[in-house]
Amino acid sequence: MADTDEAAIHLPSHDSAAHIDTDLSDETQDFRMLSNLSFLADTSQATLPKRGEKDFEPNPTLYQADVLDASRQAMHNALAHPRLHNPKNQIVGIYAPDGPAPPRSLATPKTLDTIAENDTPAQTADAEESQSKKPSGTGTNVHPDSCVYVTNPKGQFFKNMGRADRWGRIWLLPEEALYMLERGSLDVRWPWSATGCEDGCETDNSGIPMSLQAAYACFIGHGGLTVDRFSVYSGLRRLGYTLTRALGWYDEAEEEVENPESAKKQGPGLAGIYGRFMDWLHSSNTTAVGPVAGLGIHRNYNDIYRKLSIIPFYDPTAPLSQAPQTKPPFRVVFYVYKPSTPFRKSAPPAPDFRVAVVNARTQTSVPTLAQLGTLLESTPLDPPKGEKMERMLYMRLRHGYRNVILAVVDQGVVSYLRVADAAFGKEKLYNRPAPSGNKRGANPRNPRPKPKGR
Amino acid sequence: MTSQLNPMSSPTSETAAAAATSESTNKNVSQGRPGRFSRPNYRQIHRFPLPLSVHPLPPLIPHNPLSIVSVLLSYLTYLIAPPHHDVYFAYFDPETSSVHVTDAKAIRALWEMGFFGKGNLSRSEPSWLEREKKRRGLLGGVTSEEVTRQRRTERRELKLERARMEKIAIEQRLIAEAAAREAGDTSIDQSALPPSADGATNSIPPPTEKFSLRKAREAKLSGSQRSVVQTEGTDTPDGPDVSPSNGSKTVRFSPVVQAKEFVSDSTVVPALDSAVNEHGMEDEPSLSNEEHLQLSNEEAFFLVYGLGALQIVDSKRNAVLSPPSLLSRFCQHSYCPPRDHSANLEPDDPFMISYTVYHHFRSLGWVVRSGVKFGVDYLLYNRGPVFSHAEFAVVVIPSFEHPYWSETEERKAHCARKQARSWWWLHCVNRVQAQVKKSLVVCYVEVPPPVFGETGIPLEDIGALLARYTVREMLIRRWVPNRTRD
Repeated sequence: MADTDEAAIHLPSHDSAAHIDTDLSDETQDFRMLSNLSFLADTSQATLPKRGEKDFEPNPTLYQADVLDASRQAMHNALAHPRLHNPKNQIVGIYAPDGPAPPRSLATPKTLDTIAENDTPAQTADAEESQSKKPSGTGTNVHPDSCVYVTNPKGQFFKNMGRADRWGRIWLLPEEALYMLERGSLDVRWPWSATGCEDGCETDNSGIPMSLQAAYACFIGHGGLTVDRFSVYSGLRRLGYTLTRALGWYDEAEEEVENPESAKKQGPGLAGIYGRFMDWLHSSNTTAVGPVAGLGIHRNYNDIYRKLSIIPFYDPTAPLSQAPQTKPPFRVVFYVYKPSTPFRKSAPPAPDFRVAVVNARTQTSVPTLAQLGTLLESTPLDPPKGEKMERMLYMRLRHGYRNVILAVVDQGVVSYLRVADAAFGKEKLYNRPAPSGNKRGANPRNPRPKPKGR
Repeated sequence: MTSQLNPMSSPTSETAAAAATSESTNKNVSQGRPGRFSRPNYRQIHRFPLPLSVHPLPPLIPHNPLSIVSVLLSYLTYLIAPPHHDVYFAYFDPETSSVHVTDAKAIRALWEMGFFGKGNLSRSEPSWLEREKKRRGLLGGVTSEEVTRQRRTERRELKLERARMEKIAIEQRLIAEAAAREAGDTSIDQSALPPSADGATNSIPPPTEKFSLRKAREAKLSGSQRSVVQTEGTDTPDGPDVSPSNGSKTVRFSPVVQAKEFVSDSTVVPALDSAVNEHGMEDEPSLSNEEHLQLSNEEAFFLVYGLGALQIVDSKRNAVLSPPSLLSRFCQHSYCPPRDHSANLEPDDPFMISYTVYHHFRSLGWVVRSGVKFGVDYLLYNRGPVFSHAEFAVVVIPSFEHPYWSETEERKAHCARKQARSWWWLHCVNRVQAQVKKSLVVCYVEVPPPVFGETGIPLEDIGALLARYTVREMLIRRWVPNRTRD
């Protein structure tokens, strides 16, 4: 099923809007649609498959039995379709268990020095930083956790994967290599050093291909890659997203706060002073035993509500007192970019989503306020913007001021939860005009099918 | 009974939906059903958001001296004859740990101004008397419960109709297949196999394959003569599969079960009604309201402490309970079984936490009602349940961040027990809310350490106690990567 989805993405006509809201994982499939996919070279007239209608119960008609047979046959055909690798498109990567290193033929002490410097953990992630440090190096931005290099990079994958070094080789991170290997786009070879060293050799390539099992054994656990993280990575990758490692990947790393908001300390201002004066005017000593609303004559309901607001609430826009100290697993591990976001490896834009990966079997309980709060505070402020948000209260509340995505991995099954800091306290509902009397018209959401069980 | 699942919220939309469907689709079915009844003017009935009366000052226009006079005049009238301040009475029932309002005027006021409480014999609005009168034929109009029942009956009929249509389609196909088999045994494979594994899979499916509810409605429009044919069709003994007694799934296809359903709808209920009507004529003078309004403890405390619109008496001593004594009583009753009267207030009493959240959302203008029917703590209505569906469903989780709570191992374990929720719980709640089109709000309440004598906060100062809690709302919803890809 994953293959169908994937193939659908990479078909040229994937921008047909109909595909967007069909969640293939949600239903059992009518596999007859598979036989409509053209796996062959004729991609010009490829269209997205449409799904048939679903029968809910068996009935004794031959028709149903035939439909079922046809569906099974289609699935069988799809699975039995030979998957060919064109030798022209073959990408060969070589496993480098010790991390990035210069080519053996150039392994002079001088270059080794530069590489060693390259390996210092100080410049773990940031490419620009390392480039600014070493302006002479053209390819010094290789990630130190990279463990596979490709000498003949071609194809679309390298648009958003891997880092090139100064010798024209592209270094892949373990998750990138494993993902490409899994989908058959990469052929990883063992190096000579791992198979029995022969010193006279010009290249590392021993010519012995690495099996998928060996790749899992070698790459999982290499540089902080866990199975949970890899399943999130490959799942989102297959859907077309671009993923990069975030700063919270390393457990010990100090996460830099992405938004050093200059805590703009300014005076209360005229409005603030007036507000305080009004607060003082309205504040009465009735909160001790009540009634909070006061005993006197009430002039309007907004005053009553203002008096009633005695419960402090968290304000997400307030400047943070100190940098949040996130603890694993509640820290951002991946930056995720939508397929439509223009992505450049050298200068990645601001991510569309930030994902934290949680193993539901080791962290069995829902995060506490401290865990979730620091996780949210480590993301930049993203207040609701735009005319639509201004107008729609519910949408504004649902968007929230900060947001992060939790990928809860429960034995391989990933459920994504979007957590947003809602700040209801900043939206005084009583200040808004009353909704129109009719229940149908009152709903500010777009018209939806009538929900069940209200 | 499934009607319990339907909360108090939606008399209007259900009315509208029921009326629309009944008018537009099946005129021939809706015998005896009243048409669109005039909906009460909810904007007028519920024009006050809280059970407090406000007296706005006349507008002050600086360059118009007359306006100053009118302002002064209004002050003067308030001074001479201060407006009457309505205070309602309720009593606390320790056996059920709940607060009851029995005065009819108070019940109407608390419901209409702020949607407090629930009728103990109704779904939400205390409408038992009206329903009872209606049932005895004393009153016209339709109550919301009846509208819901009507809509359910109608939907069930439509589903049965759909099942019947599907069944007919299957029978026709069976007949056709049998005929094909008769015609030539060898040619079945070619003739009766419209779908092929590699061929036209995107071809339009035969129109008789599926029936939506809409199609069923359309089919109902097409006259009664076909239903006669259908009933004949279903009466004929056909395949071996339609025996009614093979398990629970037969509801959709078995004609016998359908017949039963219709019997129960058409004959039993009127018989019961007529019997009641005969009795009703005799009982008519003695019909008194058996229903009372039941307030949750949070609602009651908000009315007493927050608004001062309610006074609660102990059912035994007939003494009015002051807000501090009420608070300690509610806190004791937030445990099961209730703690004894000597127990001290603790900052993590369930009542303190839930009341903090209740007061917080009420003070922002939301109408907060219990969300127990959706597996959450509260539902938030904009203005009120008769105006809009609840958009937000709130679950409350306490949080123990203060260093006091992690000082000893015992406290740590205690806090961990109180704030731990499993992922499965969260997924369950989240999926339920998605199903009913609500947004899940996880409301964390930061619990302060206990008050000691030296901190200078008197235990009687409820406002100071409440101000030590902090509320933080997180909106959690499922993220479907397939849908955010664009």
